[in-house]
Amino acid sequence: MSKIVILGSGIAGHTAASHLRRKLSKKHEVLVVSPNWNYQWIPSNIWVGIGRMQPEQIIFPLEPLYKKKGINFKQAKVVSFHPEGDDSTLPYVVVEYVFGEQKGETEKVAYDYLINATGPKLAFDLTEGLNPGTDDVYSVCTYDHAQHAASGLEKLIEKAKNSSSKLKVLIGTGHAKATCQGAAFEYILNVEQELRRRKVRDKVSIKWITNESTLGDFGMDGMLLSYQGKPMKSSDMVEMVFRDREIEWILGAGVNKIDQGKAFYENLEGEKKTEEFDFAMLIPAFSGHGFKAYDQQGGDITPKLFKGFMVVDADYTVKPYEEWTVQDWPETYQNPSYPNIFAPGIAFAPPHSISRPRKSPNGTEIFPAPPRTGMPSGITAKLVADNIIDSIKSGKESLHHRGSLGNMGAACIASAGYGLITGSGVSITTFPIVPDYKKYEKTGGRDIKKTFGDIGLAGHWVKLSLHYAFIYKAKMKPFWWLIPE
Amino acid sequence: MKQKITKSQKAYMQNPIIQFFKFIYLNVRIIRIVAGGHGGTRK
Repeated sequence: MSKIVILGSGIAGHTAASHLRRKLSKKHEVLVVSPNWNYQWIPSNIWVGIGRMQPEQIIFPLEPLYKKKGINFKQAKVVSFHPEGDDSTLPYVVVEYVFGEQKGETEKVAYDYLINATGPKLAFDLTEGLNPGTDDVYSVCTYDHAQHAASGLEKLIEKAKNSSSKLKVLIGTGHAKATCQGAAFEYILNVEQELRRRKVRDKVSIKWITNESTLGDFGMDGMLLSYQGKPMKSSDMVEMVFRDREIEWILGAGVNKIDQGKAFYENLEGEKKTEEFDFAMLIPAFSGHGFKAYDQQGGDITPKLFKGFMVVDADYTVKPYEEWTVQDWPETYQNPSYPNIFAPGIAFAPPHSISRPRKSPNGTEIFPAPPRTGMPSGITAKLVADNIIDSIKSGKESLHHRGSLGNMGAACIASAGYGLITGSGVSITTFPIVPDYKKYEKTGGRDIKKTFGDIGLAGHWVKLSLHYAFIYKAKMKPFWWLIPE
Repeated sequence: MKQKITKSQKAYMQNPIIQFFKFIYLNVRIIRIVAGGHGGTRK
């Protein structure tokens, strides 16, 4: 009998738990440890953030589902890692309960295999004054943040109705090295459409602020894509959409402070500037959780497990941008020191960014961190689960399933406005996620046949279909496994 | 001068009948990319 412990119940953690439970017999234990009671379908947070969806539509409680499916669950957060165990136990993690009668109590949870799917820490603290829900600045990173954002937007709309001067909306990244530009891009287009629908668009100016050096970088070094059968840069595509929606933009901006309706930032030219706003949604930096790891004698072995995020089979050698290759990126998400520990999704430490690193003349690094959300999180979690399943069944280590971001496609269906007939979407697919400049030398590192863009109502329908399909899948309803990650 | 979205393109983008066929097309393309699989990059 084997015991597989999964830390986290987001897209990666829940995907891994679902596949492990389906494919392993009940004599093996699957245990999920997560501080969250609910599963949330994060990609739909942007619709909660404009008030067109309620949180109840994108979440469901995990424990009843897990009970029904034979997955054990502890509502707790991990405190420390002990991959060598101690004299009397298998390797274990120490967890602390966050809810119920056991709240505050700690417990050793032993494992045969450990999947770290703890995702990122939303590091609001790395930007002074960036507290979601205060000072007219919001976030859509979680469903409750998004709900606050919807209230803030509603206040802005009411204020705009009675205002003689133009109000200001600022949306984008709230840190010099933030990622997840895609979510902010979706949100700005949804806010713009919502303001039009509520007939106050002419009373509000909307501005995009980003750490990207060009529009459409998305933390992926931008892309050359096929649009209406012709090659087009993602920067041109995003610019076309922004001009059409009368959205202005600020590029290469490292926001470092928020104070009373003002965003302070440094740009790539080294200038220190300020942007005023009446409503802002800024994505924070993502960081590791600061976990500690200890050996059998209690010695600190944190660097063997963590470089901020978890160390996996990537090439972490420090080298210049020109020498980066797709081979640097991990394939199995296995920790090299402890082969029974894996970190799919956002929990693994990337070898470097995907976008070209840039610094201001003052030495401030301003460029996006690599995005690893949604589809790649699901795919990497499934391949980790499949390798563990094969290893358990064969009785020896199996790493047959591999998936590098340099050999994996992603579909980014960005909502550009909600509404069955009035909605819109910017659909972008890219292959591979990490550009392979050697293999696809002439097309910016991407396979142009699989990298395309499209704008229109169909994109909204696709995004809405994915919402329902993935919630169905997450609820493990009949034949859920037929829906790909 | 960067490309602009013209009025006729906008009408095309919001036409439910055209977009219904586009919806099917997009789903097929996305599934092909997802089903196209993934793998390693090292030999």
